[in-house]
Amino acid sequence: MLDSLQPAANNRRIEALLLHRELEEFNSAYAAALDEQRLTDWAEMFTVDAFYIVISRENADRGMPVGLIYCENQGMIFDRAFAHEKTEMFAPRYLRHIIGNLQVLGEEPNGDIRARANYVVIQVLFDRPEAKLHQVGVYYDKFRRVGDQLKLAERRCVYDNLLVDNALCLPV
Amino acid sequence: MLKNFHDGLATASCMTSQKVTWQKVASLDVLRDGEAIGIDIAGTTIALFRLGDEVHATSGICSHEFGVLADGFIEPADGTVECPLHQALFDIRTGKAQCAPATADLNVYPVRIDGSDILIDAACVQRANEATLATTAAPAAAREPAAVPGLAGAGHGRIQNANPASDGAATFTRQYVWPDDDLSVIPDWVYTDKLVYDREVERIFHGRTWNYVALEAELPSTGDFIRSNVGPTPVVVARAADGSINVFENRCMHRAAEFCRELSGTAKEFICPYHQWTYDLRGNLIGIPFRRGIGGKGGMPADFKLQDHNLRRLNVTSHRGVVFASYADEIESFADYLGPEVLREFEATFDGRKLNVLGHYRHSLPGNWKLYHENLKDPYHATLLHTFLVTFGLLVAGNRSLMLTDGSGRHGVMASAKSDAKSVSGDAKKEMRNFQEGFTLREPRLMDYVEEFDSPWSVTMATIWPNLILQREMNTLGIRQIVPTGPHEFIMKWTMFGFEGDDEAMTRHRLRQGNLMGPAGFLGLEDNEAIKFVQDGMQRVPGGKHLVKLDPQTPAGTTDTLISEAAIRAMYRHWRHEMGL
Repeated sequence: MLDSLQPAANNRRIEALLLHRELEEFNSAYAAALDEQRLTDWAEMFTVDAFYIVISRENADRGMPVGLIYCENQGMIFDRAFAHEKTEMFAPRYLRHIIGNLQVLGEEPNGDIRARANYVVIQVLFDRPEAKLHQVGVYYDKFRRVGDQLKLAERRCVYDNLLVDNALCLPV
Repeated sequence: MLKNFHDGLATASCMTSQKVTWQKVASLDVLRDGEAIGIDIAGTTIALFRLGDEVHATSGICSHEFGVLADGFIEPADGTVECPLHQALFDIRTGKAQCAPATADLNVYPVRIDGSDILIDAACVQRANEATLATTAAPAAAREPAAVPGLAGAGHGRIQNANPASDGAATFTRQYVWPDDDLSVIPDWVYTDKLVYDREVERIFHGRTWNYVALEAELPSTGDFIRSNVGPTPVVVARAADGSINVFENRCMHRAAEFCRELSGTAKEFICPYHQWTYDLRGNLIGIPFRRGIGGKGGMPADFKLQDHNLRRLNVTSHRGVVFASYADEIESFADYLGPEVLREFEATFDGRKLNVLGHYRHSLPGNWKLYHENLKDPYHATLLHTFLVTFGLLVAGNRSLMLTDGSGRHGVMASAKSDAKSVSGDAKKEMRNFQEGFTLREPRLMDYVEEFDSPWSVTMATIWPNLILQREMNTLGIRQIVPTGPHEFIMKWTMFGFEGDDEAMTRHRLRQGNLMGPAGFLGLEDNEAIKFVQDGMQRVPGGKHLVKLDPQTPAGTTDTLISEAAIRAMYRHWRHEMGL
C-alpha cells in the first residue's frame, strides 16, 4: 500500500523499483544475447569507453589485475565478438547465463548507477549428457543512460571457480 | 643372532659398487622359521624367506609363470622353494632354478637385519626391475637382467601389471611396443596408459629434473609461502628467516594430511589442523601435542625423535628469480640442465629486471600433459589453427622463425619474428585456408610490440622439461606450470608478470595483450580445445598411433622451418630413454 501522506518517499520507492526492474530487464537481454551467441548485439550493450573484465576472485581479492578477458573499451569488446564469431576454433556448445540477486548499490558522481548481481553460466557440449556449471560469480557493474538506452559503462565479472574447465570460449 | 646376507653376494642384478638404499620391508616377528612372506617394493613383488637364522629375498614371482613363491612349499633342509603353480624348484639362497619347468633363475636381493627390522636394498630392486623392462618381450626364461645394465637402445619394453595379492589366475601383462623403433610414429599408449603415467611421475617429475615451483617475487619476505606442485605432488614453497627458499611436501608426517590449504600467504610456522603437528618454515618438525602423553599414559614411544620426522624436503635452486625444485639430490646445475642455447632464451626473457606478478589463470585440461609440450614444439599448427594470428598479421607461414631444441631433446624454444600481413605470398595464403584479408582490429594496440628484450624474436615459447612453459608473446609474459593429475588430464597454473619499472601504460599494454593467451585467449582457448580433441580421439579408437613425420631432413632437433615436427621427435627420444620404453 502506498502511504498517501508521504508522496515524496513513495515516489522514491517507485523510482527505485522501476530502476531495479529496468536493470533486471537489461540483464535478461544481456543473457539472451550471449545464450543465443549474438555477440555483436552483446557488444552493443556497452558504452564506447566501457571497461569489461572477467577476473578470478583470487586475482580480484589480491588486487592483481590479470583477467581472462580484459577489454578497455568497446572497440576491444567488438574485436572479441569478431574473434569468437569469425576466427576462433572451439567445439560447438550451448550456454545458459542465469543472472539473479540484483542489488542496486548507489550512484556515482557522474550519474552512473552502481549495481551487482550473481551469475551462473551453464555449458552443454553436444557429446556429453551433463549441463556443467561452467562459471559462477558476481557482476560488479556501472550502468549509464546513453540517449534513451541503458548501457554498461563497466562490468567486472569476478568468478569463484578458480580452476576454469578447459577453456572459456564465449564471454560471460 | 641373525646374519646379514648381502656381503659379497653376487646377485644377478646388483653390483656391489652401485648405489644402495636400505628400505625396511617387514619385521622379523612376522617371518617365522621355514616360512615365507610376499612384499611389494615400488611395484615389484619380492618373496622373503627365513631359513633358521638366515633371511633371504628373491623375486616374488616364479620365472616360469605367474606363481606366487611366498605361497610355495619350502624345504628348509634343502633351502629350496617349490612354486605352487607348476612345481618349479628354486634354491632360496642363490635363486638358481633346480628343475623344469623353470629354466631362468630368480633375482636375489641383498637383505640386512637391523634389530627386529628386515631391510632390502630398494635401489637394487629398482635396477633389476629396469633391466627387466628393457628386455624385449621375450619369454620370462630369456630375461637376463645382469646382461642389460642400461636402458639405452631398448626399443621394446614391458611392464608387468600384476596384482601380487590376487591369485595367480588374475595375471595381466600388457605390452608396450614402440612401433618399429621409429620416432616419427607415436603410439597412443604414451598418452593414455595409467602405468606409463605412474612411471612418468616416478622417473620424470620425481626423477632427475628441475621442476618449476614459484617466482621469488611471490615470496619477498620471511614467512611468505605459496602452494605449488612437483608433478602431481603438492608442495609448499616458503621463505625462511635466513632468506632461503624451501620446498617441502604438503603432507603431514603423521597422517598424511595436506595441511596447507591457502593458495599463498604468510606464516610463522605450519600447523597441521588435524592433530596440530607443527613444522617450521624449512619443513622441520618442531612440535607435536601430548608427545609424552598425559599423567604418564599414552604419548609417543620414548625413542621418538622429532628430527626423524621432518617433512620431505626437495632440492631447490633459483635462476634469475625463478625457483625450481627436484627430488634428486644429485643433479646438474640449472644452467647445465637447460644447456647454453635454451639458457640464452631463458635469460633473454628474465633479463635481470625484478619481476612484478600481475595475476594468475588456472584451468584444467582434459588431455595428456605431454601434448602441451608438443603443441609448443609444433610450429606447424600456429598458422593453421590460430586464424586470429594470421588474420591480424602476427604470424604467417613465411615469418622468420626457429624451432630450437637443446642437446638432450627435452627442452625447446619456438621463436618467431613479427612481420607485416601484407607481405604474405599468394602461395602461402592458399595453403592457410583460414586466411582472411581486409579485417582490422578496432583496437590495434592489441598487436603492438614494444621492443624491450635483447632478442631478435618478438615471440618465444620455451618448453622447459618437464613442467614449465615460458611465454613471451610480444609483451605479454607468463609462466605456465603443468600439474599432471593422470594420463587424461592436467592442471595448468599461469603466473602472468611484468617488470618493476613498468609504467601504468606498459602494464596496461601487457594486460591488453593478455587477451591472446590463457584459457579465454584468442590463441590460448584454441590450443586447449585442440589438445582436448586429440585426447578424445585417442580414447575412442583403441590401439592407435600418431604421425609426426614433418621435416625428415631434420631427424630430431633444431630446425628453422615452421613446417616441422623434429622437436617433438627429439622430445620422445629423450622420453623413451628416461622411461626405458
